[in-house]
Amino acid sequence: MIMHRRKKSARIRRVAAVIATAGILTALPAPAFAMHISEGILPAPWALFWYAVALPFVAWGLRDLRRRSEELLWFKPFVSLVGAAVFLISCMPIPVPTAGTCSHPAGTGLAAILIGPGLTVVVASIALTLQALFLAHGGLTTLGANIVSMGVAGAYVGYGAYLVARHLGLPWAVAAFLAGLLSDWATYAMTSLELAAALHGDGSFSAMLSLILLAFVPTQLPLGILEGFICAGALKFVRSRKPELIRATAAGGAA
Amino acid sequence: MFDLFSDIFTYRDNALARIDPRAKLAIALAALVAVVTAERIVLPLCVFGLCLGTVVGLRIPAKLIAVRLAAPLSIVAVLVVLQTFLTGATPIFAFTLAGWEFTAKAEGLRQGMLLGARVLGAVSVVFLLSVVTPAHRIFQALRWFRLSRNWLEIAVLMYRYIFVLMESAADLAAAQKLRLGYTTKGRALRSFTALAGATIVHSLEQAERTHNAMRLRGYRGVMPFGPLPALGRRDRMILAFCLAGIASARLLEWGAGR
Amino acid sequence: MKAISATGVHFTYDDGTEALSGIDFHVEEGEFIAILGSNGSGKTTLINLLVGLIKARAGRIMIGGQAIGELSAEELYQRVGLVFQNPNDQLFAATVEEDCAFGPRNLNLPEAEVQQRVTESLSAVAALPLRGRAIHHLSFGEQKRVSLAGVMAMRPSVLILDEPTAGLDPAGEAQMMQLLKKLNREEGLTVILATHSVDMLPLFANRIYVLDQGRVLQEGPSEEIFCHQEMIDRAKLRLPYISRLMYEMKRHDGVPIDGLPLTIGEAREQLLELIPKELIIAGMGEKRP
Repeated sequence: MIMHRRKKSARIRRVAAVIATAGILTALPAPAFAMHISEGILPAPWALFWYAVALPFVAWGLRDLRRRSEELLWFKPFVSLVGAAVFLISCMPIPVPTAGTCSHPAGTGLAAILIGPGLTVVVASIALTLQALFLAHGGLTTLGANIVSMGVAGAYVGYGAYLVARHLGLPWAVAAFLAGLLSDWATYAMTSLELAAALHGDGSFSAMLSLILLAFVPTQLPLGILEGFICAGALKFVRSRKPELIRATAAGGAA
Repeated sequence: MFDLFSDIFTYRDNALARIDPRAKLAIALAALVAVVTAERIVLPLCVFGLCLGTVVGLRIPAKLIAVRLAAPLSIVAVLVVLQTFLTGATPIFAFTLAGWEFTAKAEGLRQGMLLGARVLGAVSVVFLLSVVTPAHRIFQALRWFRLSRNWLEIAVLMYRYIFVLMESAADLAAAQKLRLGYTTKGRALRSFTALAGATIVHSLEQAERTHNAMRLRGYRGVMPFGPLPALGRRDRMILAFCLAGIASARLLEWGAGR
Repeated sequence: MKAISATGVHFTYDDGTEALSGIDFHVEEGEFIAILGSNGSGKTTLINLLVGLIKARAGRIMIGGQAIGELSAEELYQRVGLVFQNPNDQLFAATVEEDCAFGPRNLNLPEAEVQQRVTESLSAVAALPLRGRAIHHLSFGEQKRVSLAGVMAMRPSVLILDEPTAGLDPAGEAQMMQLLKKLNREEGLTVILATHSVDMLPLFANRIYVLDQGRVLQEGPSEEIFCHQEMIDRAKLRLPYISRLMYEMKRHDGVPIDGLPLTIGEAREQLLELIPKELIIAGMGEKRP
């Protein structure tokens, strides 16, 4: 009897739960903190799995860093300072109209345009470690998963979007907008996937995934668009003040 | 605006602050492992209680504790709700809201509470670590764990210059506010964008000057870190004692679960 | 022997701005030299040339008798140290101790020697108690002194400072200048400082170079420099306030002042001679040496 009822109303209840959870998530004091997977949420096997996924990307970025800093003495200070700036930007509160509270940009798209996706993963891994240690955003056990969503997904999607857009002949501002927008959304899609994989328990993975994705929509859709504007606007600012520095950046040729 | 990122308490002197950071980091990591592998809520909640009690005992302001725990606590709430209504099989109760029917299930509730307890336990471990250990001591400890030197070099420089850039960004944000830069949504977005752009420009200029200063003091592409002293006897004993304690607590839980 | 000499030095930035056009600049060992000039006069460019951060387009720069290009980076930076105007530029480590140890460690010195240099350089700038502190918790004045210590730990024989007193409060300014004087007189360091604040200079500097638009307008001891009011105006500088007062009294009020006093002490002496003895109430003031 119970089984029968469950089957019949499963769909309806799923939708209901989605709406209810979305409501809860957006009513929280800090919706953007959900951007990083909090310490302790991932069970040990998943935490290890995402570490294993993240590690090659970080190692690749570090290899790139070592190679380039051997040639260019200024390269490590340059990467560090851009990293510090992006970290700071990601801590700045921006008002999200639909959430009624402040949220934070991720800054990964911008970082990827400036220093390239490989080094963005390195910088993101450091930023995430600092946030996990000193701000209780994200966590040490979930660091691997957060590097994959923020660093890897965000940086490569953002950078890819920028390059493709420039290749298609779109103006750089549009390309930067797309980089910001898509890197933000990619981060959220990846975070949702990671959460759903770890949390669906005996329930359905796709139901959990669509639920989490939908729950993020009210804040993430507008936040992604804002992130796009910020990415384009910040790049415009840098271009007007320091055009020579843009040429030295990763996407310099395309910028 | 940026006062969240404060490390002033880590420079207070107390018994925990004096423990070697390598020992503290190893203990914290062991505690994290114990917490995230726990199958029942008792161990994580004990860890949470212990760490929170210590933090309160160290007289860390309640406001800071609240700020740090706010996000994890809200995540715990969501987790419990999510798991209760979406997973499990045995219904506990059901209710109808605006025509939709919700069924809470026992297994889901239990799983949700376990996840919540793990989050609280794990967050409190890291929080305690972070209020008794300054960042540079943690970086030192990480060297002992054989982390990539390049990674650490970038981390050290990033950490240092976050504070420098923070000052100029805070000034800029205040200047924007004083000139009504945030009065409408459009203006706010434009101001925010300029703030972000200016921060990037500052960082690029700072990078050049910092690199010059490093060169003038003999920098050849690798930040020289000093040698790490051997772990003291007292610290070794603390480390061994705590690791043994965590391991036995974890084993006890495992035994109780059988 | 000459500690530093620049002959006929020209420098043009990439954007075409000519920053230095034919500078001659010579410093003897153990001198205390001030480079005086308004913003944009070329002070910082000259300094950057002297420490090898940029290369001159024409002219010759010698450090301790050797051409700057012949010196390896390691040799050069143990002879000449530069203290930046903004301490944030050069304090890149997390703590005071780590920052001071940065230079010695780059020289591959044994750790005991590194620690000894850190202790020495921090005590030389009266900052030893700050050793374990985080850089971002220091006051501005403390940061200035610690950044000086970081350079001192390289044990350079020539110390170049870009605006060492900019942004300091009066007490901090006096402390910094006394510190530099001590390093110069007691440790025998050659000190070169670029500045546009003139009031303290006559007390400390052996010689002053006045720079304007990339040229040396005049060079000499402070008495010679500050008696050329017109040249000082042209360089967009000013006299020390006390000298200005004495100059005005002499020129407009006919007060018979001999020469132009540059310091409070000199001015006081001269005024005391001019004031009739009966106007001075005995025992009113505290005696000063």
